[in-house]
Amino acid sequence: MIRLRAEFEKKGRAKYISHLDLNRCMLRTFRRSRLPIWYTEGFNPHPYYAFALALSLGFESNCEILDFNLNEEIPFDEVRDRLNSVMPEGMRIIRVWEQKMKITAIKEAEYCFSLVSENVDGLFDDINKLLSQENIFIGKKTKKGMKTVDIKPDMKIISCENESGRINVRMRLPAGTQTNFNPNLFIEALKNSAQIGFSAEKITRTGIFCDDNMKFE
Amino acid sequence: MLKDKIEKHLLEVQKPSRYIGGEVGSITKDKSKIDVRFAFCFPDTYDIGMSHLGMKILYSLTNERENYWCERCFAPGLDFEKIMRKNDIPLYALESLDPIRDFDFIGFTMQYELSYTNVLNMLDLAGIPIFAKDRTDSLTQIVVAGGPCVCNPEPLADFFDIFILGEGEEVNLELMDLYCEMKKKGASRLEFLKEAAQIEGIYVPQFYEFFYKENGTVDHIETKENAPKIVRKRIIKNLDNVYYPENFVVPFTEIVHDRVSVEVLRGCIRGCRFCQAGFIYRPFREKSSDTICTETKSLCENTGYDEVSLASLSTSDHSDIYTMLTKLIDYTEKERVNLSLPSLRVDNFSESLLEKIKKVRKSGLTFAAEGGTQRLRDVINKNVTEEEIMNTCRIAFQGGYSAVKLYFMMGLPTETDEDIVGIAELAQRIVDLFYSIENRPKGKGVQVSVSCATFVPKPFTPFQFEPQDTREEIERKQKLLLDSVKTKKIRVSYHDPNVSMLEVILAKGDRRLCPVIYTAWKKGCKFDSWSEHFRFDKWLEAFEECGVDPKFYANRRFEYDEVLPWEHLDYLVSKEFFIRENKTAHTAVTTPHCRQRCSGCGVNKKVGRECF
Repeated sequence: MIRLRAEFEKKGRAKYISHLDLNRCMLRTFRRSRLPIWYTEGFNPHPYYAFALALSLGFESNCEILDFNLNEEIPFDEVRDRLNSVMPEGMRIIRVWEQKMKITAIKEAEYCFSLVSENVDGLFDDINKLLSQENIFIGKKTKKGMKTVDIKPDMKIISCENESGRINVRMRLPAGTQTNFNPNLFIEALKNSAQIGFSAEKITRTGIFCDDNMKFE
Repeated sequence: MLKDKIEKHLLEVQKPSRYIGGEVGSITKDKSKIDVRFAFCFPDTYDIGMSHLGMKILYSLTNERENYWCERCFAPGLDFEKIMRKNDIPLYALESLDPIRDFDFIGFTMQYELSYTNVLNMLDLAGIPIFAKDRTDSLTQIVVAGGPCVCNPEPLADFFDIFILGEGEEVNLELMDLYCEMKKKGASRLEFLKEAAQIEGIYVPQFYEFFYKENGTVDHIETKENAPKIVRKRIIKNLDNVYYPENFVVPFTEIVHDRVSVEVLRGCIRGCRFCQAGFIYRPFREKSSDTICTETKSLCENTGYDEVSLASLSTSDHSDIYTMLTKLIDYTEKERVNLSLPSLRVDNFSESLLEKIKKVRKSGLTFAAEGGTQRLRDVINKNVTEEEIMNTCRIAFQGGYSAVKLYFMMGLPTETDEDIVGIAELAQRIVDLFYSIENRPKGKGVQVSVSCATFVPKPFTPFQFEPQDTREEIERKQKLLLDSVKTKKIRVSYHDPNVSMLEVILAKGDRRLCPVIYTAWKKGCKFDSWSEHFRFDKWLEAFEECGVDPKFYANRRFEYDEVLPWEHLDYLVSKEFFIRENKTAHTAVTTPHCRQRCSGCGVNKKVGRECF
C-alpha cells in the first residue's frame, strides 16, 4: 500500500460543493479514474481517503489536501492525470506526492479576500481601527453551541491594502486538529464594528502551513 | 450576465449546488451552432427531478444530435424563488444558465397530479405567458408535456401547446426535426402546430373543442385544423434496441435516487385493476440480460456510482431473471457495486432468488398486498394469496429479516369494514408467524409497518369509472384500522384524504379544471405534494370561485357509456376491455396474467403482433 497526498484546487462553480458532497464526489471520481484505490478491511470495506481540512461552502482554494492509498505503485503524474481527466469542473489536482507529514502537523491556513464598499476609504479606516484593538471578540458556533472567542491573538495579517476601489486582505488563521478559525469570523467582527456597509468577495484559501512557517507537505 | 446575478445570492440558499450546474456528465454546447434548444423541465425540486429516469434518457438522446441542445430545469425551492423574484432572475436552464424563455421548446414531464401548480409557477418565473393562447404567434417557446399524467391532460389543456403521448424516444426527435425544418422556412406557430398534430402521438389541445351535456358530463369532442379524431400514444417496438444513455449527470448534492438506474422492462403482465402504470405502458417488452449487463457496466464506469438499481414495474417478471441476476451479481461483486432490486413481487419471490439478493442487501422487505382480505385482492386482481405472503415472510424471517413493510389501499371498490379489519389481522398473523419460527433473528423484535394509501381511481384502468370514497368515509375507515391494531409491533401510517381527493379530481378531470388550477396557483398553491405546503383550503376556495363541484369528479361514478374526458386519446388498451374488467371486478373474479392467457385488452391487435 502506498500512502499518497494530493494538492488540488476548488474554484468557480466547484465552490458550491459542500464538504459532505465533496466526500461523495471524490468517491465517484476515484471510481471513474479506475485507480487501484485501497479499501479498508473492516466489516464494511470502503475506499479510504481523507481531506486535511474542511473548506467552508462558498470559499475557493488552490491548496486543498487529499490523502488516499493505492494498492500498487503508479507514477505520481499519472495518478494526477487520471484523476484530472474525470474531475468535475473547477476541481483540478495540482500535484501528487507521498505523504510526509502527519495531518496533525497543520497549524495555520492562509486566506485572501477582497472587501468591496461604496466608501472604501472609510472602510479602510474601520479595518485599521478594528485591527488596533487588543482583542477581537466574536461568537463562534461550536458543537456545544455558541461560544465567544478572541481571534486577535492568533490572527496574522500578512497584508491589507486599499487598492483600486477594493481592500485586499491576506491573513493567516489557526487551522488543524486543535483550533480552526474561519475568515468569516473576522468579517463578522468587522460587520459588527464598522460604520460602513461592505461585502466580502472571492474568499480563497491560499496556503496550509505547519509550525515555523513551513508549508505542509 | 445572469450567472453573476445568480452567484451573488447563491450562498443565501439551501443546497446551492442545485442551482448552478457544472455536474460531471452535464452537457454543454456552443449555442451558436445549435438549431433547436430544449429545456427539459421537472415541476419539482432538483433533488426529486434529478432522480427521474425518463429525463436522463431523453436528455442524453437529444444531446446525441449535434445541432440540438437539451438542458435541465427544476422548480427552485421557496427560498431561492423569493430571491429570484426579488432580483429579476428569470427561470434558467442549468447547462448554459440562459433563461428558458429564449428556448425553442419548454418541455415538462408530468409524473404526478400534485405538481400541476408548479408548472404554472415555473412558466411564470420564466416570464412565459401561462396560457397557450397568450403566447405570440412566432415560432418559439413551444410549451410541451409528456409523462404518465398526459394520458388525461385535459386539466392542463389551456396551458400547453402540445402533449406528447407515450414513449418519447422517437417522437421527441420527430417533433424537433419538424420544428427545425419549419423554423428555417419561417413558419408561424399555428402552421407548425397544424403540421405537428399530424405526427402520431402528438396531441395539440387547442384543435379540440369539448361540448358538455346539461348534467355536466362530456357530450362530444370536435376537432379542427384537420387534427386526428383519435390520438394514439407512441411505443418503442423493440426495447432491446432502444437508445439508452451510457452516462448520467452525477449530482453533487444527494438526490432521492442517487444511483445508476437500469431499465429492465416496460409494461406489466399483471393487470392489477387499480394500477394505471400497468395499462398505459403496455405492451410488455423486455431487454435481454446481455443488454442490461452492458448498460449497467458502462453506466457504473462512466458515472462512478457504486450502487445500481433495476427499474421496471415488476422486475421478477423478466423471463430471464435468474441468468440476469447471476451475471449482474458477478459484475457488481467484483466491482464492489451495490445492487438493489425494487419491484419484486411476492408470488414469485423464490427461495433461490432471495438467496441471490441476500448477498447484496439486507434492508427491509416491502410487499404490496394492497387488500386486507382475499376477496378484496380478487376484486382488484392483485393475484397474491395470503399463503404466498406468509411463505415469503417465513423465508425472509429465516433469512435474517425482522422488518416487513406492507402496502395497502383503502376505499377500494366493494370494500367493507371486514376488509379494513382484515388489514390489521393480516399484519397480526405476520407478527405471530415471526414468533413461531424457531430460527428467527435473535435479540430482535419484529416490526410490521402497514402503509395505507387512499384509493385513487385513474384513467385507463378498469377502475376509471369508480367513485372515490368521501373524506368522511375514509376518515372513518382509518380510525377503524387504528382501532383494530392491538400491538405496537404493527405500525400504521396513512395518507391525508384531502390529498387523495385532489389527486383524483386532477386525474379524472376535464378542461373546466384549468381555471381552478390557475386560481389555486394565484392563491399561492404550489408544491402541493409536499405536506408542509399543501393548502386544501385554498383549493376549495378556487373550486368555489370557479363554480366547479369537486365531488362531480371525485365521488361520482362515471357511466360506461359516458364520453370520458380522455376518450379521444388512445393508449392501445380498449374501453371495452376496461368495462369488461370492471364488471368482472364487481363479481370478485380474477383475470389471469398475460403470460397465462391473453385477456384481450386490444394492445396486440393495434400493435399488430402477439405480446408473447
